Amino acid sequence: MSRVVDRAGTWIGWALFADLASAFTLTFGYMFSKPVTMQYPDKEKWLPYSRYRGHHFLKRDEEGEIKCVACELCARICPCDCIEVVPYEDENGNRHPAKFEIDTARCLFCGLCEDACPADAIALGQQYEFSSFSSRDLVIGRDDLLDKPGKAMTGGGVVAARLNTDEDVLVETSEPHGYNWWRNIRRT
Amino acid sequence: MELLVALGLIAIKVALLIAMLLLLPLPLTWLERKIAGHMQQRMGPMRVGWHGLLQPVADGIKLLTKEDHIPAEADRFLFKLAPILALAPPFVVFVAIPFGETVSVLNAEITLYVSNLNVALLFVFAVIGLEVYGVIFGGWAANSKYAVLGSLRTCAQMISYEIPMGFAVIGVVMLAQSMSLVDIVRAQSDLWNIVYQPIGFFVFFVAGLAEAQRIPFDLAEAEGDLGAGFHTEYSGIRFAFFMVSEYVIVLLVSVLSVILFFGGWNGILIPLPPLLWFALKVAFFIYVFMWFRFTLPRYRYDQLMAIGWKVLLPLSMANIIITGIAFT
Repeated sequence: MSRVVDRAGTWIGWALFADLASAFTLTFGYMFSKPVTMQYPDKEKWLPYSRYRGHHFLKRDEEGEIKCVACELCARICPCDCIEVVPYEDENGNRHPAKFEIDTARCLFCGLCEDACPADAIALGQQYEFSSFSSRDLVIGRDDLLDKPGKAMTGGGVVAARLNTDEDVLVETSEPHGYNWWRNIRRT
Repeated sequence: MELLVALGLIAIKVALLIAMLLLLPLPLTWLERKIAGHMQQRMGPMRVGWHGLLQPVADGIKLLTKEDHIPAEADRFLFKLAPILALAPPFVVFVAIPFGETVSVLNAEITLYVSNLNVALLFVFAVIGLEVYGVIFGGWAANSKYAVLGSLRTCAQMISYEIPMGFAVIGVVMLAQSMSLVDIVRAQSDLWNIVYQPIGFFVFFVAGLAEAQRIPFDLAEAEGDLGAGFHTEYSGIRFAFFMVSEYVIVLLVSVLSVILFFGGWNGILIPLPPLLWFALKVAFFIYVFMWFRFTLPRYRYDQLMAIGWKVLLPLSMANIIITGIAFT
Protein backbone atom coordinates (compact mmCIF):
# COMPACT_ATOMS: atom_id res chain seq x y z
CA MET A 1 0.00 0.00 0.00
CA SER A 2 2.67 2.49 1.04
CA ARG A 3 4.60 1.69 -2.12
CA VAL A 4 1.58 2.52 -4.20
CA VAL A 5 1.18 5.82 -2.32
CA ASP A 6 4.86 6.60 -2.79
CA ARG A 7 4.69 5.91 -6.50
CA ALA A 8 1.52 7.97 -6.84
CA GLY A 9 3.23 10.78 -4.95
CA THR A 10 6.22 10.59 -7.26
CA TRP A 11 3.97 10.84 -10.30
CA ILE A 12 1.98 13.73 -8.85
CA GLY A 13 5.22 15.51 -8.00
CA TRP A 14 6.52 14.86 -11.51
CA ALA A 15 3.38 16.21 -13.09
CA LEU A 16 3.38 19.35 -10.94
CA PHE A 17 7.12 20.01 -11.38
CA ALA A 18 7.92 19.50 -7.69
CA ASP A 19 11.64 19.20 -8.40
CA LEU A 20 11.67 22.43 -10.39
CA ALA A 21 9.74 24.20 -7.65
CA SER A 22 12.24 23.14 -5.00
CA ALA A 23 15.11 24.31 -7.22
CA PHE A 24 13.51 27.72 -7.69
CA THR A 25 12.79 28.17 -3.99
CA LEU A 26 16.42 27.31 -3.26
CA THR A 27 17.86 29.87 -5.66
CA PHE A 28 15.29 32.45 -4.51
CA GLY A 29 16.34 31.87 -0.91
CA TYR A 30 19.99 32.24 -1.83
CA MET A 31 19.23 35.50 -3.58
CA PHE A 32 18.32 37.11 -0.27
CA SER A 33 21.13 35.55 1.75
CA LYS A 34 24.16 37.59 2.69
CA PRO A 35 27.00 37.53 0.14
CA VAL A 36 30.27 36.00 1.31
CA THR A 37 32.35 38.33 -0.86
CA MET A 38 35.21 40.03 0.96
CA GLN A 39 35.51 43.45 -0.68
CA TYR A 40 39.25 43.35 -0.35
CA PRO A 41 40.91 46.52 -1.50
CA ASP A 42 37.90 48.80 -1.16
CA LYS A 43 36.27 48.08 2.14
CA GLU A 44 37.62 45.00 3.88
CA LYS A 45 40.87 43.17 4.42
CA TRP A 46 41.78 39.71 5.62
CA LEU A 47 43.84 39.33 8.79
CA PRO A 48 45.96 36.19 8.50
CA TYR A 49 46.12 33.52 11.16
CA SER A 50 49.20 33.46 13.42
CA ARG A 51 50.42 30.34 11.61
CA TYR A 52 50.28 32.17 8.27
CA ARG A 53 53.54 32.19 6.29
CA GLY A 54 53.91 35.62 4.77
CA HIS A 55 56.90 37.92 4.33
CA HIS A 56 60.04 37.00 6.31
CA PHE A 57 61.24 39.09 9.22
CA LEU A 58 64.39 39.05 11.40
CA LYS A 59 64.07 39.26 15.18
CA ARG A 60 66.05 41.25 17.77
CA ASP A 61 66.94 40.09 21.27
CA GLU A 62 66.27 42.01 24.53
CA GLU A 63 69.26 44.37 24.04
CA GLY A 64 68.04 45.25 20.57
CA GLU A 65 70.85 43.29 18.97
CA ILE A 66 70.03 41.16 15.94
CA LYS A 67 69.41 37.57 17.01
CA CYS A 68 70.89 36.04 13.87
CA VAL A 69 74.31 34.40 14.35
CA ALA A 70 74.97 34.01 10.62
CA CYS A 71 75.33 30.23 10.80
CA GLU A 72 73.92 30.05 7.25
CA LEU A 73 71.75 27.03 8.08
CA CYS A 74 68.73 28.79 6.57
CA ALA A 75 70.67 29.44 3.36
CA ARG A 76 71.75 25.77 3.34
CA ILE A 77 68.25 24.32 3.81
CA CYS A 78 66.48 26.73 1.48
CA PRO A 79 65.08 24.60 -1.39
CA CYS A 80 65.21 27.44 -3.89
CA ASP A 81 68.49 28.91 -2.74
CA CYS A 82 67.11 32.40 -2.23
CA ILE A 83 68.89 33.39 1.05
CA GLU A 84 72.35 34.89 0.96
CA VAL A 85 74.21 35.46 4.28
CA VAL A 86 77.65 37.06 4.75
CA PRO A 87 78.91 36.88 8.39
CA TYR A 88 81.15 39.24 10.33
CA GLU A 89 82.54 39.25 13.90
CA ASP A 90 81.95 42.29 16.13
CA GLU A 91 84.32 43.61 18.83
CA ASN A 92 82.91 41.18 21.46
CA GLY A 93 83.62 38.21 19.23
CA ASN A 94 79.93 37.55 18.34
CA ARG A 95 78.99 36.47 14.85
CA HIS A 96 76.34 38.53 13.08
CA PRO A 97 75.28 38.88 9.46
CA ALA A 98 76.89 41.72 7.56
CA LYS A 99 74.59 40.95 4.67
CA PHE A 100 71.32 39.05 4.85
CA GLU A 101 69.38 39.06 1.61
CA ILE A 102 66.22 37.17 0.69
CA ASP A 103 65.07 37.08 -2.92
CA THR A 104 61.30 36.94 -2.33
CA ALA A 105 60.75 36.54 -6.06
CA ARG A 106 62.28 33.06 -5.79
CA CYS A 107 61.09 32.19 -2.29
CA LEU A 108 58.31 29.61 -2.10
CA PHE A 109 57.36 30.42 1.52
CA CYS A 110 57.88 26.87 2.77
CA GLY A 111 59.08 28.02 6.19
CA LEU A 112 62.07 25.65 6.35
CA CYS A 113 64.40 28.56 7.24
CA GLU A 114 62.23 29.22 10.27
CA ASP A 115 62.45 25.54 11.30
CA ALA A 116 66.18 25.29 10.73
CA CYS A 117 67.21 28.45 12.58
CA PRO A 118 69.02 27.51 15.86
CA ALA A 119 68.78 31.05 17.24
CA ASP A 120 65.08 31.62 16.49
CA ALA A 121 66.07 34.66 14.49
CA ILE A 122 64.09 34.35 11.25
CA ALA A 123 60.39 33.67 10.83
CA LEU A 124 57.64 34.17 8.28
CA GLY A 125 55.29 36.93 9.34
CA GLN A 126 51.84 38.27 8.48
CA GLN A 127 52.58 40.65 5.62
CA TYR A 128 51.26 39.50 2.26
CA GLU A 129 51.05 42.67 0.18
CA PHE A 130 54.50 43.14 -1.34
CA SER A 131 54.02 43.03 -5.07
CA SER A 132 56.39 45.12 -7.15
CA PHE A 133 56.92 46.28 -10.71
CA SER A 134 60.55 45.18 -10.66
CA SER A 135 61.96 41.83 -9.58
CA ARG A 136 65.04 43.66 -8.27
CA ASP A 137 62.84 45.38 -5.66
CA LEU A 138 61.87 41.97 -4.34
CA VAL A 139 65.39 41.28 -3.00
CA ILE A 140 65.04 42.34 0.63
CA GLY A 141 68.08 43.31 2.69
CA ARG A 142 68.91 42.87 6.40
CA ASP A 143 67.65 46.22 7.70
CA ASP A 144 64.35 45.97 5.84
CA LEU A 145 63.84 42.46 7.19
CA LEU A 146 64.32 43.74 10.74
CA ASP A 147 61.51 46.27 10.22
CA LYS A 148 58.97 43.85 8.75
CA PRO A 149 55.85 43.05 10.81
CA GLY A 150 55.97 39.89 12.89
CA LYS A 151 53.49 37.06 13.31
CA ALA A 152 49.83 37.94 13.65
CA MET A 153 48.64 37.74 17.27
CA THR A 154 44.93 37.41 16.49
CA GLY A 155 43.86 36.43 13.09
CA GLY A 156 41.40 34.82 10.78
CA GLY A 157 39.12 37.84 10.60
CA VAL A 158 37.90 40.42 8.15
CA VAL A 159 38.50 44.01 9.18
CA ALA A 160 37.34 47.29 7.71
CA ALA A 161 39.95 48.78 5.42
CA ARG A 162 40.38 51.61 2.96
CA LEU A 163 42.26 51.72 -0.33
CA ASN A 164 44.75 54.58 -0.35
CA THR A 165 46.36 55.38 -3.69
CA ASP A 166 47.59 58.90 -2.88
CA GLU A 167 51.29 58.19 -3.32
CA ASP A 168 51.75 54.47 -2.81
CA VAL A 169 49.07 51.81 -3.08
CA LEU A 170 48.14 50.93 0.48
CA VAL A 171 45.25 49.10 2.07
CA GLU A 172 44.86 50.74 5.45
CA THR A 173 43.11 48.93 8.24
CA SER A 174 41.50 50.78 11.10
CA GLU A 175 40.59 48.15 13.66
CA PRO A 176 42.59 45.33 15.24
CA HIS A 177 39.85 42.68 15.27
CA GLY A 178 37.35 41.84 12.60
CA TYR A 179 34.41 39.56 12.14
CA ASN A 180 34.80 35.90 11.38
CA TRP A 181 34.38 35.41 7.64
CA TRP A 182 32.85 31.97 8.10
CA ARG A 183 29.76 33.41 9.81
CA ASN A 184 28.19 34.21 6.42
CA ILE A 185 28.59 30.71 5.04
CA ARG A 186 25.17 29.16 4.54
CA ARG A 187 24.93 25.54 5.53
CA THR A 188 21.86 23.69 4.36
CA MET B 1 -1.36 69.55 -42.27
CA GLU B 2 -3.16 66.78 -40.41
CA LEU B 3 -1.12 64.22 -42.29
CA LEU B 4 2.10 65.99 -41.29
CA VAL B 5 1.09 65.98 -37.62
CA ALA B 6 0.24 62.31 -37.79
CA LEU B 7 3.54 61.51 -39.51
CA GLY B 8 5.47 63.59 -37.00
CA LEU B 9 3.76 61.80 -34.15
CA ILE B 10 4.69 58.42 -35.60
CA ALA B 11 8.27 59.58 -36.12
CA ILE B 12 8.49 60.71 -32.48
CA LYS B 13 7.01 57.43 -31.26
CA VAL B 14 9.42 55.37 -33.36
CA ALA B 15 12.39 57.43 -32.15
CA LEU B 16 11.32 56.99 -28.52
CA LEU B 17 10.81 53.27 -29.07
CA ILE B 18 14.24 52.79 -30.66
CA ALA B 19 15.92 54.83 -27.91
CA MET B 20 14.15 52.78 -25.24
CA LEU B 21 15.03 49.45 -26.84
CA LEU B 22 18.66 50.42 -27.38
CA LEU B 23 19.10 51.70 -23.84
CA LEU B 24 17.16 49.01 -22.01
CA PRO B 25 19.87 46.32 -22.39
CA LEU B 26 22.16 48.48 -20.23
CA PRO B 27 20.14 48.16 -17.01
CA LEU B 28 19.21 44.58 -17.95
CA THR B 29 22.84 43.42 -18.14
CA TRP B 30 23.47 45.07 -14.79
CA LEU B 31 20.40 43.41 -13.33
CA GLU B 32 21.36 40.02 -14.75
CA ARG B 33 24.85 40.19 -13.26
CA LYS B 34 23.49 41.35 -9.91
CA ILE B 35 20.92 38.55 -9.80
CA ALA B 36 23.56 36.02 -10.83
CA GLY B 37 25.88 37.28 -8.12
CA HIS B 38 23.35 37.24 -5.32
CA MET B 39 22.04 33.80 -6.27
CA GLN B 40 25.62 32.54 -5.97
CA GLN B 41 26.25 34.47 -2.72
CA ARG B 42 28.44 36.96 -4.52
CA MET B 43 27.85 40.67 -4.94
CA GLY B 44 28.14 41.14 -8.70
CA PRO B 45 29.61 44.36 -10.05
CA MET B 46 30.44 46.76 -7.21
CA ARG B 47 33.26 49.04 -8.27
CA VAL B 48 32.00 51.23 -11.15
CA GLY B 49 29.48 53.67 -9.75
CA TRP B 50 27.11 53.04 -6.85
CA HIS B 51 26.80 49.23 -6.57
CA GLY B 52 28.26 48.91 -10.06
CA LEU B 53 25.40 50.82 -11.73
CA LEU B 54 27.73 52.31 -14.33
CA GLN B 55 29.26 48.92 -15.18
CA PRO B 56 27.15 48.47 -18.38
CA VAL B 57 28.30 51.91 -19.57
CA ALA B 58 31.90 50.93 -18.97
CA ASP B 59 31.33 47.64 -20.80
CA GLY B 60 29.70 49.49 -23.68
CA ILE B 61 32.65 51.87 -24.01
CA LYS B 62 34.99 48.90 -23.90
CA LEU B 63 33.07 47.11 -26.68
CA LEU B 64 33.01 50.27 -28.82
CA THR B 65 36.75 50.77 -28.59
CA LYS B 66 37.72 47.13 -29.12
CA GLU B 67 39.16 45.87 -32.35
CA ASP B 68 36.46 44.77 -34.78
CA HIS B 69 38.05 41.55 -35.91
CA ILE B 70 36.95 39.58 -38.98
CA PRO B 71 38.51 36.13 -39.40
CA ALA B 72 40.70 35.70 -42.49
CA GLU B 73 38.62 32.88 -43.96
CA ALA B 74 35.25 34.49 -43.21
CA ASP B 75 32.63 35.46 -45.75
CA ARG B 76 33.03 39.18 -45.17
CA PHE B 77 29.69 40.32 -46.57
CA LEU B 78 27.57 37.86 -44.59
CA PHE B 79 29.76 38.38 -41.53
CA LYS B 80 28.96 42.08 -41.54
CA LEU B 81 25.32 41.55 -42.44
CA ALA B 82 24.49 39.00 -39.73
CA PRO B 83 24.53 41.28 -36.63
CA ILE B 84 22.19 43.73 -38.38
CA LEU B 85 19.88 40.89 -39.41
CA ALA B 86 19.83 39.68 -35.83
CA LEU B 87 19.19 43.15 -34.44
CA ALA B 88 16.52 44.46 -36.82
CA PRO B 89 13.60 41.98 -36.42
CA PRO B 90 13.22 42.34 -32.63
CA PHE B 91 13.06 46.12 -33.13
CA VAL B 92 10.55 45.86 -35.98
CA VAL B 93 8.27 43.65 -33.91
CA PHE B 94 7.76 46.44 -31.38
CA VAL B 95 5.90 48.46 -34.02
CA ALA B 96 2.90 46.23 -33.38
CA ILE B 97 3.24 46.01 -29.60
CA PRO B 98 0.87 48.22 -27.57
CA PHE B 99 2.04 49.56 -24.22
CA GLY B 100 -1.33 50.94 -23.12
CA GLU B 101 -4.48 52.60 -24.40
CA THR B 102 -4.02 56.38 -24.58
CA VAL B 103 -2.43 59.20 -22.64
CA SER B 104 -3.45 62.84 -23.01
CA VAL B 105 -0.58 65.21 -23.69
CA LEU B 106 -1.42 68.90 -24.28
CA ASN B 107 -5.16 68.12 -24.60
CA ALA B 108 -4.46 65.59 -27.35
CA GLU B 109 -5.15 61.89 -26.96
CA ILE B 110 -2.03 59.98 -27.93
CA THR B 111 -2.14 56.23 -28.35
CA LEU B 112 0.61 54.23 -26.66
CA TYR B 113 1.36 52.16 -29.72
CA VAL B 114 2.84 52.92 -33.12
CA SER B 115 0.10 51.11 -34.98
CA ASN B 116 -2.87 48.95 -34.08
CA LEU B 117 -2.54 46.25 -36.73
CA ASN B 118 -5.54 43.96 -37.07
CA VAL B 119 -3.14 41.05 -37.68
CA ALA B 120 -0.62 42.15 -35.06
CA LEU B 121 -0.08 38.68 -33.63
CA LEU B 122 0.60 37.22 -37.06
CA PHE B 123 2.97 40.11 -37.80
CA VAL B 124 4.87 39.50 -34.56
CA PHE B 125 5.37 35.81 -35.29
CA ALA B 126 6.28 36.41 -38.92
CA VAL B 127 8.92 39.01 -38.13
CA ILE B 128 10.41 37.24 -35.14
CA GLY B 129 10.88 34.21 -37.37
CA LEU B 130 13.33 36.27 -39.46
CA GLU B 131 15.62 36.67 -36.47
CA VAL B 132 17.00 33.18 -37.12
CA TYR B 133 18.69 34.44 -40.31
CA GLY B 134 21.08 36.63 -38.34
CA VAL B 135 22.08 33.70 -36.17
CA ILE B 136 22.51 31.27 -39.09
CA PHE B 137 24.44 33.74 -41.26
CA GLY B 138 26.62 34.75 -38.31
CA GLY B 139 27.56 31.15 -37.59
CA TRP B 140 28.05 30.23 -41.25
CA ALA B 141 30.03 33.31 -42.30
CA ALA B 142 32.56 33.05 -39.46
CA ASN B 143 33.96 29.81 -40.94
CA SER B 144 34.54 28.34 -37.50
CA LYS B 145 33.37 24.89 -36.45
CA TYR B 146 31.93 26.10 -33.15
CA ALA B 147 29.98 28.86 -34.82
CA VAL B 148 28.58 26.52 -37.48
CA LEU B 149 27.54 23.95 -34.87
CA GLY B 150 25.88 26.69 -32.83
CA SER B 151 23.96 28.07 -35.77
CA LEU B 152 22.88 24.62 -36.95
CA ARG B 153 21.48 23.92 -33.51
CA THR B 154 19.73 27.27 -33.48
CA CYS B 155 18.20 26.64 -36.88
CA ALA B 156 16.59 23.40 -35.76
CA GLN B 157 15.62 24.81 -32.38
CA MET B 158 13.94 27.96 -33.70
CA ILE B 159 11.96 26.07 -36.32
CA SER B 160 10.86 23.40 -33.84
CA TYR B 161 9.73 25.82 -31.17
CA GLU B 162 8.01 28.36 -33.40
CA ILE B 163 5.31 25.79 -34.18
CA PRO B 164 4.12 25.11 -30.59
CA MET B 165 4.51 28.82 -29.84
CA GLY B 166 2.23 29.68 -32.74
CA PHE B 167 -0.32 27.05 -31.74
CA ALA B 168 -0.25 28.14 -28.11
CA VAL B 169 -1.52 31.62 -28.91
CA ILE B 170 -4.39 30.34 -31.06
CA GLY B 171 -6.35 29.74 -27.86
CA VAL B 172 -5.96 33.40 -26.97
CA VAL B 173 -7.09 34.46 -30.42
CA MET B 174 -10.17 32.21 -30.09
CA LEU B 175 -11.09 33.85 -26.79
CA ALA B 176 -10.60 37.42 -27.99
CA GLN B 177 -12.01 36.77 -31.49
CA SER B 178 -9.28 39.07 -32.80
CA MET B 179 -5.61 39.07 -33.68
CA SER B 180 -5.11 42.70 -32.71
CA LEU B 181 -3.07 42.88 -29.53
CA VAL B 182 -5.08 45.88 -28.32
CA ASP B 183 -8.32 43.93 -28.70
CA ILE B 184 -6.76 40.91 -26.97
CA VAL B 185 -5.90 43.06 -23.94
CA ARG B 186 -9.36 44.68 -23.95
CA ALA B 187 -10.95 41.23 -23.93
CA GLN B 188 -9.07 40.49 -20.71
CA SER B 189 -10.38 43.47 -18.75
CA ASP B 190 -12.60 41.23 -16.59
CA LEU B 191 -10.48 38.10 -16.25
CA TRP B 192 -6.97 37.43 -17.45
CA ASN B 193 -6.41 34.76 -20.05
CA ILE B 194 -4.12 32.79 -17.73
CA VAL B 195 -7.27 31.52 -15.96
CA TYR B 196 -8.66 30.03 -19.18
CA GLN B 197 -5.33 29.19 -20.81
CA PRO B 198 -2.89 27.72 -18.26
CA ILE B 199 -1.66 25.10 -20.75
CA GLY B 200 -1.39 27.71 -23.47
CA PHE B 201 0.69 29.94 -21.24
CA PHE B 202 2.94 27.05 -20.21
CA VAL B 203 3.62 26.08 -23.82
CA PHE B 204 4.06 29.71 -24.86
CA PHE B 205 6.50 30.48 -22.07
CA VAL B 206 8.64 27.37 -22.54
CA ALA B 207 8.74 27.95 -26.29
CA GLY B 208 9.53 31.60 -25.60
CA LEU B 209 12.50 30.55 -23.50
CA ALA B 210 13.71 28.50 -26.43
CA GLU B 211 13.06 31.31 -28.93
CA ALA B 212 15.04 33.74 -26.80
CA GLN B 213 17.79 31.10 -26.51
CA ARG B 214 17.95 31.40 -22.78
CA ILE B 215 18.87 28.66 -20.33
CA PRO B 216 17.70 25.87 -20.23
CA PHE B 217 17.49 26.06 -24.05
CA ASP B 218 20.60 28.09 -24.86
CA LEU B 219 22.18 25.41 -27.03
CA ALA B 220 23.05 27.97 -29.68
CA GLU B 221 25.64 29.59 -27.47
CA ALA B 222 26.38 26.80 -25.01
CA GLU B 223 29.49 28.20 -23.37
CA GLY B 224 30.59 24.83 -22.08
CA ASP B 225 30.74 22.93 -25.36
CA LEU B 226 30.79 25.54 -28.16
CA GLY B 227 32.91 28.44 -26.97
CA ALA B 228 30.20 31.02 -27.49
CA GLY B 229 28.16 29.34 -30.21
CA PHE B 230 27.22 31.36 -33.26
CA HIS B 231 28.95 34.56 -32.09
CA THR B 232 32.26 32.90 -31.18
CA GLU B 233 34.20 34.91 -33.78
CA TYR B 234 32.47 38.24 -33.21
CA SER B 235 34.06 41.04 -31.27
CA GLY B 236 33.56 44.69 -30.54
CA ILE B 237 30.40 46.45 -31.66
CA ARG B 238 29.13 43.52 -33.74
CA PHE B 239 29.15 41.35 -30.64
CA ALA B 240 27.27 44.11 -28.83
CA PHE B 241 24.60 43.96 -31.56
CA PHE B 242 24.02 40.28 -30.80
CA MET B 243 23.83 40.98 -27.08
CA VAL B 244 21.33 43.83 -27.57
CA SER B 245 19.25 41.58 -29.81
CA GLU B 246 19.22 38.86 -27.15
CA TYR B 247 17.99 41.25 -24.46
CA VAL B 248 15.36 42.80 -26.75
CA ILE B 249 14.01 39.30 -27.46
CA VAL B 250 13.88 38.59 -23.72
CA LEU B 251 11.90 41.82 -23.37
CA LEU B 252 9.69 40.85 -26.29
CA VAL B 253 8.79 37.44 -24.89
CA SER B 254 8.05 39.04 -21.50
CA VAL B 255 5.87 41.69 -23.12
CA LEU B 256 4.01 39.10 -25.20
CA SER B 257 3.40 36.91 -22.13
CA VAL B 258 1.92 39.90 -20.32
CA ILE B 259 -0.22 41.02 -23.25
CA LEU B 260 -1.50 37.59 -24.25
CA PHE B 261 -1.97 35.92 -20.87
CA PHE B 262 -1.63 38.38 -17.99
CA GLY B 263 -4.06 41.11 -18.95
CA GLY B 264 -1.67 43.64 -20.45
CA TRP B 265 -2.21 46.98 -18.70
CA ASN B 266 -5.31 45.81 -16.78
CA GLY B 267 -4.56 45.85 -13.08
CA ILE B 268 -6.08 43.90 -10.23
CA LEU B 269 -6.84 44.98 -6.64
CA ILE B 270 -4.43 47.92 -6.48
CA PRO B 271 -5.43 50.86 -8.72
CA LEU B 272 -2.16 51.92 -10.38
CA PRO B 273 -1.66 53.76 -13.67
CA PRO B 274 -2.09 51.21 -16.52
CA LEU B 275 1.39 51.87 -17.87
CA LEU B 276 2.90 51.16 -14.45
CA TRP B 277 0.95 47.93 -14.14
CA PHE B 278 2.25 46.91 -17.55
CA ALA B 279 5.86 47.77 -16.64
CA LEU B 280 5.62 45.89 -13.33
CA LYS B 281 4.33 42.74 -14.99
CA VAL B 282 7.00 42.88 -17.70
CA ALA B 283 9.69 43.43 -15.07
CA PHE B 284 8.44 40.37 -13.21
CA PHE B 285 8.75 38.22 -16.32
CA ILE B 286 12.23 39.53 -17.06
CA TYR B 287 13.18 38.57 -13.51
CA VAL B 288 11.72 35.10 -14.08
CA PHE B 289 13.89 34.75 -17.18
CA MET B 290 17.01 35.54 -15.15
CA TRP B 291 15.85 33.40 -12.26
CA PHE B 292 15.51 30.44 -14.64
CA ARG B 293 18.94 31.12 -16.07
CA PHE B 294 20.72 30.81 -12.77
CA THR B 295 18.71 27.84 -11.53
CA LEU B 296 18.54 25.36 -14.36
CA PRO B 297 21.19 23.44 -16.29
CA ARG B 298 21.13 23.15 -20.08
CA TYR B 299 19.12 20.48 -21.90
CA ARG B 300 20.84 17.96 -24.11
CA TYR B 301 20.15 18.40 -27.80
CA ASP B 302 17.96 15.31 -28.23
CA GLN B 303 16.02 16.26 -25.09
CA LEU B 304 15.44 19.69 -26.58
CA MET B 305 13.97 18.16 -29.73
CA ALA B 306 11.91 15.64 -27.74
CA ILE B 307 10.40 18.39 -25.56
CA GLY B 308 9.58 20.51 -28.57
CA TRP B 309 7.94 17.86 -30.74
CA LYS B 310 6.67 15.25 -28.27
CA VAL B 311 5.50 17.39 -25.35
CA LEU B 312 4.86 20.99 -26.38
CA LEU B 313 3.30 20.33 -29.78
CA PRO B 314 0.66 17.82 -28.50
CA LEU B 315 -0.01 20.05 -25.50
CA SER B 316 -0.64 23.07 -27.67
CA MET B 317 -2.93 21.04 -29.95
CA ALA B 318 -4.86 19.78 -26.92
CA ASN B 319 -5.14 23.37 -25.72
CA ILE B 320 -6.74 24.42 -29.00
CA ILE B 321 -9.23 21.53 -28.85
CA ILE B 322 -10.15 22.20 -25.21
CA THR B 323 -10.55 25.91 -25.85
CA GLY B 324 -12.66 25.21 -28.91
CA ILE B 325 -15.00 22.83 -27.08
CA ALA B 326 -15.31 24.82 -23.86
CA PHE B 327 -15.50 28.45 -24.94
CA THR B 328 -17.11 28.65 -28.36
